[in-house]
Amino acid sequence: MNPVVLGLNLALCFSGLAALALSLDRHHRDAFLRRVPPGRARSLRAAGWAGIGLSLAAAIALEGWNFGPVQWIGALTGGALLVVAFLSYRPGWLRPAALAALPLALLALPLALKG
Amino acid sequence: MGARQERWSGPAYRFGVAGRVVLASLGSYVVASLLTALLSLTLPLVRSEAVTAATLLSFLVITLLALYVFAARSLGRAALTLGLVGLALAAALWLAGGFSAPGPAA
Amino acid sequence: MRQGFRQSMAWLHTWSGLVVGWVLFAIFVTGTASYYRTEISRWMRPELTAATADPARSADMAAAYLKRQMPDAAGWYVELPRPETPLIEVHWWKSLEGPFHNALLDPATGAPSTARATKGGDFLYRFHFELGMPPTVGRWIVGLCALVLLVSLMSGIVTHRRIFADFFTFRRGARTTQRRWLDAHNVVGVLALPFHLMIVYTGLVTLAPMLMPWGLVAAYRAEAPRFYVEAGLMADMRAPAGRPGTLAPLGPMVAQAIARQGEAPEAFAVYNPGDAAATAVATFEEPHGLAHQHPQITFDGETGAILGTAGMAPTRAASTTSTVMVGIHEAHFAGSALRLLFVLCGVMGAATVGTGLVLWGVARAPKGAEPAGLGLRLVRILNLGTIAGLPLGIAAFFLANRLLPPDLPARADWEIRIFFGAWALAALAGALRPQDRAWREGLGLAALAYLAVPLVGLATVGRSPVPAFDIAMVAVALLFGCAAYKAGRSPLGARAARPAQDLSGEEALRA
Repeated sequence: MNPVVLGLNLALCFSGLAALALSLDRHHRDAFLRRVPPGRARSLRAAGWAGIGLSLAAAIALEGWNFGPVQWIGALTGGALLVVAFLSYRPGWLRPAALAALPLALLALPLALKG
Repeated sequence: MGARQERWSGPAYRFGVAGRVVLASLGSYVVASLLTALLSLTLPLVRSEAVTAATLLSFLVITLLALYVFAARSLGRAALTLGLVGLALAAALWLAGGFSAPGPAA
Repeated sequence: MRQGFRQSMAWLHTWSGLVVGWVLFAIFVTGTASYYRTEISRWMRPELTAATADPARSADMAAAYLKRQMPDAAGWYVELPRPETPLIEVHWWKSLEGPFHNALLDPATGAPSTARATKGGDFLYRFHFELGMPPTVGRWIVGLCALVLLVSLMSGIVTHRRIFADFFTFRRGARTTQRRWLDAHNVVGVLALPFHLMIVYTGLVTLAPMLMPWGLVAAYRAEAPRFYVEAGLMADMRAPAGRPGTLAPLGPMVAQAIARQGEAPEAFAVYNPGDAAATAVATFEEPHGLAHQHPQITFDGETGAILGTAGMAPTRAASTTSTVMVGIHEAHFAGSALRLLFVLCGVMGAATVGTGLVLWGVARAPKGAEPAGLGLRLVRILNLGTIAGLPLGIAAFFLANRLLPPDLPARADWEIRIFFGAWALAALAGALRPQDRAWREGLGLAALAYLAVPLVGLATVGRSPVPAFDIAMVAVALLFGCAAYKAGRSPLGARAARPAQDLSGEEALRA
């Protein structure tokens, strides 16, 4: 039960869910003041699911089959709450925040592997 | 008393609501209990495993039955369904020896 | 109850949520606090100093005390001291129907602890599933409310048509108050839905032997304890011999248990301590894993010889599922970071119930100058009395712990009386004030009360025994402060000026 692994999960889930949210017209409009172009929506959706999938894989690889999924579901909820908070209060910050979370996750990875 | 006659208020509507509440709570519980007892005796598992599996499942059964009672077209229909299922389960439980006097320790 | 499946489910969601909502809110709040039961208990006993106690010696001291209290008990149960709880907690009983007695002993002397008398975090923990009532009654009520919550969750999922499209949607600037509350209800409900479903189902499983005993009865008849033995969860108990015996010292048994398991047991029980066939059981902390399954070693009480073990071998599939469910509910396995996420989910559970209750009232607010009906007024009073009143009661419980004289007779009971008294007073005061002001005042008062907890602690006992607890109190105070500010700025009563258009509750839910 390593807080760094949880942080890694949280960062990946947050980025993934942010991409999914931005693939929806309503939220894309909140963040960028225009509808989402169709091609963009597809790639955002793919990126979003990839982030969520990666998070699950990381959770299971680092925490095992019993704790991994539990932690992943917790991280999904936490990440989603962050996305909603950004969308409601600072929609413009969602994309930078989601992008910033990715290098954070990358930085956490060696720490998580060591811990 | 079909849903078509059920008004949004008035005694008939109130009776319908009260009836469904009673049926959803007591009826669902009785049917789920019968099913749990039956599965505990008949699941092809070690005795303790059959009891645990049946008990774990029972809360899902209660919930689904309660949802059915409120989704059914009429109170009478819901009561009839639950009654028939309950009777069938009770008969099966009787056949499985669930109501006989306690036998020697298995 | 209305035409069509979705309409029936919307109706069911609305009304099933309402009737049990207030109890559920209390269950969620106290349950969330119970994730920190040990820390709360530790904070509420500031006199304790961290100390490592010898478990074998502690067991002997406990036995000496219990022999004086009730040598012919049906059972003794000794919780051995741990670094974070430097106390010996002893329980004893004549019959499984109760009454159950308990006491706290100082592991240094074996005499009753001189720390202030308090139920500590255990009070909130037990309230979570017994509501401060007689155990059986409370547990049945909690069990029924949990079943209704399960029904409400499932019907809510069916009702919420655009669950994925609206996944992230919280329209703060929505035209109607009702729409904002509905969005808030959906967001906290849907985002933590896996947690909500998990926590209510696993909660039911913890109460299963009482709520759904019929499988056990059908398969085991009168020999129910055999079930736990066969499932590998409990050690086989010997029946009392019916003639008096002499109990061997517990210390060597504890030492034997430590030698065998490589760690000290967390608890040591003796069944029929005065009988020739007394059985002693050492219970160990759950091994690292999700399952709630304690390894046990049983001893012959007269000779001190090992009789057998339980809970050490892997259990079969269904038993494992069941113990994992209980384990996930209690989350003992969770480290501090994951536990914080569980707490967040618990708060979201309380928020789902709370927003649902408020939404019911907002959706039925009379338009224009019409007076509110009796039902609506009652719901509003109960909403305020629960959502602001219960947290205020908990803050008063903590404050009482610091302010009541440490040597007051029946001190632990007084703390609890103050908890209920403050809750009742807050609810009553809220009922007498105009709606909007009552919310602002109730939430603001709760914020002040939580802010006062660390300050009063500092003034009465000095350095906090658990600094994280004080930080949490300030965080809770900020939360209530924000809520009070919001309630002051956009009062619930604003919907009178901005009526909820023509949506009824169910239509709003379906929208």
